[in-house]
Order: sequence, then structure tokens, then C-alpha cells
Amino acid sequence: MNKLQRNPDIVWRVEKRRQQAVLERMAAGEEGGDEGTVILLISGMMHQLNLLGGMIWTLCDGQRDIEQLVTELQKEFDVDPTILQADVQEFVADLVERGWLSYDQSTD
Amino acid sequence: MTNPLTEQFSAPLTFNWTLSYSCNFACSHCYSREEQCAELTLAELKQIVDRLARHQVPFINFGGGEPLIHKDLFALSDYARQQGLNVSMNSNGWLLDKQAAEQIKACGFRSVGISIDSADGALHDDFRNRPGSFDRAVNALDELAAAGVRSTMSSVISRINYQNFNDLLDLAREHQVAQVYLHNFKCSGRGFKNRQELDLTPEEWKDFYLEALKVKEETRDLLISFDDPVIASLPGYKENSLVKGSSCGKLSLHLRPNGDMTPCGFIPLVVGNILQDDFEEVWYNSPVLNKMRNKEAKGKCQGCGAYEDCLGGCTARAFATTGDLSEPDPHCWK
Ligand code: SF4
Repeated sequence: MNKLQRNPDIVWRVEKRRQQAVLERMAAGEEGGDEGTVILLISGMMHQLNLLGGMIWTLCDGQRDIEQLVTELQKEFDVDPTILQADVQEFVADLVERGWLSYDQSTD
Repeated sequence: MTNPLTEQFSAPLTFNWTLSYSCNFACSHCYSREEQCAELTLAELKQIVDRLARHQVPFINFGGGEPLIHKDLFALSDYARQQGLNVSMNSNGWLLDKQAAEQIKACGFRSVGISIDSADGALHDDFRNRPGSFDRAVNALDELAAAGVRSTMSSVISRINYQNFNDLLDLAREHQVAQVYLHNFKCSGRGFKNRQELDLTPEEWKDFYLEALKVKEETRDLLISFDDPVIASLPGYKENSLVKGSSCGKLSLHLRPNGDMTPCGFIPLVVGNILQDDFEEVWYNSPVLNKMRNKEAKGKCQGCGAYEDCLGGCTARAFATTGDLSEPDPHCWK
């Protein structure tokens, strides 16, 4: 219930090399979290998601609700859980409004 | 140095895949009638799909040659869908009957493009050197619609249709076509040989694009697409394309029947073989691809205010006519 699911019509891809470079820069204490690491192709337009957005997107496979997303992301990002929770909620709400993500309302 | 925009792409978004150069037609503008190439077995073709899936290439588009005469087309498409790829093709429509449309639907094709050069059937047949080809192409559109497959229409703009392109749009509407591609004329293969007869002058190209862009802006019921980078030099042009200049080698690559990769079907420079070479090595380090991604302004492009957006126009056309990837596009009206 309330599991997050990507819109199946959206074609997307993790830009692995770019993601790797961003992770390395962040590990070295440099900036870089805003560069696109996941691309989405929607109606001939390309959109990019940054590292956190890209990870959220990748995790929205219909198996996790917001709480579970935050738990997973907490393993990757060393930030205050309350801030992370708020960031995730804001991002997810935006993508749900755009129709790129949806909640699976089934009860099983 | 690599173009920063290209650097973010870990692989092309599309592979335009020629399974065979065989065709049941001999059209006046075709780039591939004189091509010959060894072909691969289904097992090898599936290996290519595995590689593309591994590199997360989202789209493959079969062209050719006529894809529908290839005996493994459906088996391969089915396999590609199972591996998560989005499959489409371009066909002349001759063989696309009800049964083929149903197979296309069952294989999960994302869309199928049918080539139609003129809304005047006799002119189309003459251009394609095949009586009856117009009727069968139009019938193919209807069969696709009946089977619930998204259809597109591909028209190469040339002297035979540039003044009547609105008729092509009407024809598309009548047959439930979702999108019309008004392709630029490439000057390769037969298109090069018949260039004098078929190609427009630069001034005619300019007038055509100004008119066609106006129509596109006013059209709501049909998607109209162009693939000519030189239109970015038109004043007020504001389409947001994914990359500047030609997309070949940046967003797409072409596969020949033997697995050789070229930047596009119209540039016969082999950059590697998908089955034999390390794909990432080719994609990131091929001198030809990097040259196309980092063109230098030459000739009249030097100092041209549009260079930043146009990047010298169509690289394939420049190469076909001058042998140099960075020369200005011969269609340029500046
Ligand atoms: S001169 Fe070169 S850059 Fe300028 S519009 Fe022509 S092809 Fe494009």
C-alpha cells in the first residue's frame, strides 16, 4: 500500500559514469550533487535528476513506500534523517504531481 | 576534450540498425542500394541486443534495406523487447499486411514509420520505381491503425514534394498517423547521384523550412518533426533539441548488417564493431566520433553568428560533398 511506482511510459537511464564521478567528488568533499545522474525521456524531451533524485527514482519500483525510501537512502547519505525525509517528500510530491510517479493504492 | 554534454551520455539513446541492405524497392533517393555487407545469424543478432541492453541503450530503430524482408525481424524484436529495449522500424509498407501488423503488435513495437514521398500516388510510385507502392504504403498505415500500433510517416523532402508538403500532412491525418517526419535530403548513395534532379537549392531549403516551421507551430492535431540541424540558424528558431548540430555520434549510432558501427547511416566511416570491440572504448574515444562532437568552424561558418546553435549543419551532408566532417553544410543559405 502506498508504494511508489515509476510511470512505465517514461524511458530512463542511470548515467553510470556521471554518477560515479559525482560520488567520487562527494567522497572527496567537493560539490557536485546537483549534476544530472539519471536521464528521463518524456515526449521527446530529456530531463535530468541529480544524485538524490536519481536514487529516489531508481528505488521507486513499486516495492517501497516513502518510509522505506528514506531508510534506503539513509545508508547512502550522511544527513539528518528529518532533513532527508523532508527532501524526499518534497521531491516525490513534485514528481507525483507531474505524473512521473504514482502511488500504488492496492492493499495487498 | 570531449563535449561536456556528450560526456554525460554513457551510450547512445538510439541505435539505427540496418539488419540487411536487401530491399524489394530501388528508390531514387536511397543511400543504401549500392551497399553490400555480410549478415549475422539470429544468435549473433541477439548478442548485439544483449550488449545494447547492458549499455542501457533505450531505443533501437530498424531501417535498411527493408526490415520486413528480414527473416529474423520478429524473433529479434521480440527478444529485444524482453531485454527492455524500445523497438521501432521504418518500412516502405509493401509487405505490411494485416498479418504483419498483428505480428508487429504482438512483438510490442513502439511505433512503425512508413515512407511516403508524395501524396500523389503516381508520383510516389514513380519515385519508388514500383507501381502500386503508394496504395500499399497507405494500406500499411491503415493496417497499423487497425492493429493498434502507433504509426509515423517519413517523407524525405525533395523537388517532388517540397511545395506540396501540406498534402502529405493531410494524408497522414486521413490515416491516423501520429507523427510526420519531414527528413532532410542526405546526398548519400543514390541521393548523391540524383542530387541535381532531387535536391533543393539553399534558398529553396530556407523558404521550405520557414513555411514548414510556421505550419508546425499552427498544427495541433499532428506532430511534425525535422531532423535538419541547419534550421537552428533560422532567426527566431526556438525548438529545444537535445543536442546542438547533428545528433549522430552524440545521441545515436548506426549499425551495419555485420555489426560495424558508423556515426549514422549516411556517413560510411566505421568506428568499431559492436561484437568485436569494447563499446565504451569506441563510444568515448573514437577519433571520428570525437571529431563530430567537437567540430571546428570552417569556411563561411567561421564568424557566423549561428554557429553556436547550428554547428555547421548536417555533418553527413558536409562529409558527402567535401570529404570533411567540419565543412559547412552544402544546404546552408548563409
Ligand atoms: S555558415 Fe555554418 S554555422 Fe552558419 S548557418 Fe551556415 S552551416 Fe550553420
